[in-house]
Amino acid sequence: MGSLTHVTINFETSHLIFPTLIGCILALLGLAIAIRDRRQLAASGAHWRKILGEMDKMRFFGTLALTVLYFSAMVPVGDIWPNTGMGFLLCSIPLVALSGLLFMRERSARSVVPLLIVAVAAPTLVWWLFTDLFFLTLP
Amino acid sequence: MDILAFLSPLFVLLIIGGTLVGIIFGAIPGMTATMAVAVCLPVTYSLGLENGLALLLGLYVGGISGGLVPAILLGIPGTPSSITTTLDGYPMARAGHGEKALKIGICASLVGGLVSLMILYFFAPTLADFAIRFSYVEKFLIILFALSVMAALSSDLLLGIFSGFLGIFISLIGTYDVTKGGNGEWRLIPPGTEYWLEQGFSLLPVLIGLFGLAAILDEAETGMKPGLGGKGVDVGQHERFSLSIFRGQWVNLIRSSCIGTFVGILPGVGGSAASILSYSNAKTFSKNPQNFGKGEPAGVMASEAGNNGLTGGALVPLLSLGIPGDSTTALLIGAFTLQGIQVGPLFIGNNPVTWDAMIVAMLIANVAMFGLMYFAIRYFAMVVTIPKHILFPVILMMCVIGAYTINYGIMFDVWTLLIFGVFGWLMTKIRLEVAPFIIGFILGPSAEVYFVKTLESFGDLTIFFTKSWIAVFLWVLIALSVGGSAYLQTKKKG
Amino acid sequence: MTFTRRTLLAAASAAAILAQPFAASAADLPRNIRMVIGSTSTGGDTYQAAAIVADALSDKLGVNIKVDAVGAVNGLKALERDKRGTTIMLFHDFAYLAELYGGKGFVNPFDAFTVGATIANNPGNAYLVGANSPYQTMEDILTAAENGERVRVAIQPGGVSEIGFSAMKNAAKVRAPGSEENIVAVNTGSQSDKNQAMWDGLADVINGSIQANEQFTQLDGDDQKAMRFVWITASPETLAEAPEAGMGALTRDAMLDYASPKTSVTLDGTQDFTFDKEFFLIYNKDMDPAMIDTIDQALAEIYEEGEIQKKETAAFFTPNFRPSAEAREHLMEKRETYKKVISDISG
Repeated sequence: MGSLTHVTINFETSHLIFPTLIGCILALLGLAIAIRDRRQLAASGAHWRKILGEMDKMRFFGTLALTVLYFSAMVPVGDIWPNTGMGFLLCSIPLVALSGLLFMRERSARSVVPLLIVAVAAPTLVWWLFTDLFFLTLP
Repeated sequence: MDILAFLSPLFVLLIIGGTLVGIIFGAIPGMTATMAVAVCLPVTYSLGLENGLALLLGLYVGGISGGLVPAILLGIPGTPSSITTTLDGYPMARAGHGEKALKIGICASLVGGLVSLMILYFFAPTLADFAIRFSYVEKFLIILFALSVMAALSSDLLLGIFSGFLGIFISLIGTYDVTKGGNGEWRLIPPGTEYWLEQGFSLLPVLIGLFGLAAILDEAETGMKPGLGGKGVDVGQHERFSLSIFRGQWVNLIRSSCIGTFVGILPGVGGSAASILSYSNAKTFSKNPQNFGKGEPAGVMASEAGNNGLTGGALVPLLSLGIPGDSTTALLIGAFTLQGIQVGPLFIGNNPVTWDAMIVAMLIANVAMFGLMYFAIRYFAMVVTIPKHILFPVILMMCVIGAYTINYGIMFDVWTLLIFGVFGWLMTKIRLEVAPFIIGFILGPSAEVYFVKTLESFGDLTIFFTKSWIAVFLWVLIALSVGGSAYLQTKKKG
Repeated sequence: MTFTRRTLLAAASAAAILAQPFAASAADLPRNIRMVIGSTSTGGDTYQAAAIVADALSDKLGVNIKVDAVGAVNGLKALERDKRGTTIMLFHDFAYLAELYGGKGFVNPFDAFTVGATIANNPGNAYLVGANSPYQTMEDILTAAENGERVRVAIQPGGVSEIGFSAMKNAAKVRAPGSEENIVAVNTGSQSDKNQAMWDGLADVINGSIQANEQFTQLDGDDQKAMRFVWITASPETLAEAPEAGMGALTRDAMLDYASPKTSVTLDGTQDFTFDKEFFLIYNKDMDPAMIDTIDQALAEIYEEGEIQKKETAAFFTPNFRPSAEAREHLMEKRETYKKVISDISG
């Protein structure tokens, strides 16, 4: 009995024990799911076609594209004025404006103007608050 | 106690101001109480010890409490410890009881804060002595108990548990952290990504990605229909609120506060475990466990009483052992050393005035938190009247700030936000469950360390059952929780 | 106006010109500097050491310096990316110890970066035993190892916490080759884990610090939490700089009892091993040397004025300013000593 439950851990390789254990459990659970839900899995092509078909593609992929652009631009822009948070400020204004326009359902002057005001005011306020007042680093 | 020694208008003002700033930090997704304390720490040097602590404790209490606002109104937890608040708070808001949920959360926070404060004041040294009887074994079982809530949260048991284990698995990516007892080796890093993934994914960006960005993507997919949360949130401004909702819930409130406090006392177990454990217990012992996750007020109470219970608890090891109970109290050590005060087992005896000042400050902070939040509910509720095309871009920007500043300026954390935003959106499409996933992700690293260290030091699997009566007691709780969820699942099907 | 490639280029070059003043003249530092530190805690000693020196430098040079607790790995990465001197780093001996201990992803900082001025020591690194421990001194511990008794030492592997343990093993080997096998590591993490390892009976000796553990040494012997110091690794010269009142009930004279030469952990049979946890600046390899000179110059003036020493002493640091060249030589020598210790015991 004693020898059955006995384990020796080698510290040098102890980083692999838990990932292996969890990996095995995951594989077992995955297998169980695959067996139980085999019909749904077989029909997954149709499932995704339906999702893509019903999707507001412009807004969804537009959001993704804007986000990627926003994240990618922040550091290079910020590097022009190091450690001032300008990268964040200068990229956030167009992001808020453009994604706002993208999300807007009826683009009339009455709704665009408040958006543009927010697009300038909100990032500026936040930028001032965090870099000047709280002295945190922004890109 | 000689209250006059420190009680001045400035002292009170600093607490209230601190609480207010703390609430704001807590309410912004991705900003935490820890960060609020960190940015204000330098200010305290010029304030002197008692006044400095007043500010910091206000920030601490406010920061922990503020997280409930976005959790309830937007379904985005403001801090990791308010995850379980979203589970029932957000459904309540969607069903038109947003204001009620906020009030319940605020009241429960106050109860949690006050109960833990009382425990701190009367039992700090005794409890610290008890807490050090928790070795790796007991701590592992506590984490396991918290993990057992994964089962309770799953709408489909198999898929839910799979999601939870996936969360654990992903949390293990990177270095086996030396500061937690690991050996500093890498694992599970896909080749070619070492430069970014060496440290793994940080919790906060993952959290706001899964809840914040994923929600935005979800909205974008369905075309940003008017009305918040897909179905439209009516805050229920004119709904009557009376304390009668707490009738029959006092046991839940007190139990959750005590659990929160106790989790705070155990160094290293981590703040988020407090609300998760309270929530899990509330569900296990509830008469209507099937309502949890669908807008059950008792769930909000448990979660909020639990995470505010943490505040007093985390100060116990700090003030009676010199060891911080969570990441925020770790910063308080900095405040003490800045003033040349030593923390350790003799702190309370050597610094009676400071000790009293801290207790009074915590008391005022809790009351101030309650007053400020209760008063501000109508302004919080305005959030839901902001049109989506303005709200979501601003939320996206705030998420970026939170992700970037959480580790003091690491761009990969911002990309993590995007990765997990997309991942969170995908999960819902393939019916994986976000709540068990994030709980697995939060608790995974601690579970690993305590499990591996137990075997490393004791070398025998039976130790998990034989170490102490505490271990046996924890196994009983785990069995109850898992058994309860399994029973519910079969009842639902049958 | 339409955005053609040419207008964009013009805008970009205009921006570049705008950026010029910050980096143009050699000795001028950038207006906004980020000081990363090798710790993720803003409550720890590295952060405090950094905050004190960053404040003083900002005042002296009229620039903004933000301290960011990004941690060792991310700090070194940020430093590597920035050649303009807008990112500098403050760290301690872990910077080179990590590589000596084979830490994943760490390189020799003397090759990959420019090591700069030292600014302060933390003299607190110490080893403790339980109050009821049979071991009274380091001598007892090393003798026990010689007699075949296993002594378990709780440390956090791979850095400052391990170096004293390596020294113990080395001393055991010098005294009685083979006896170093009886000094074994209990690998734990934070200070609370190390204390807990002692209370759980998993370790006989723990690594700790004067600051974090002194109050435990004041507890009654029958309190399970009570501890005793057995060794303070700092050199006697460093401890001489510590405040006379010491820390808590431990006066400077009492500290000296636990340090070399009174408590001896031998390095090679003739000299004692000592370890001071030193904080120093690290720069990008390609950063303009004139900027480093400017910082050295400013630090020299700051330490001349004497205000910073008061701040450092109050936070239980011992000031030790050395300009870059001198600091580099000193630290490289230190590295060689420890490199030998580490290779001897693993050899």
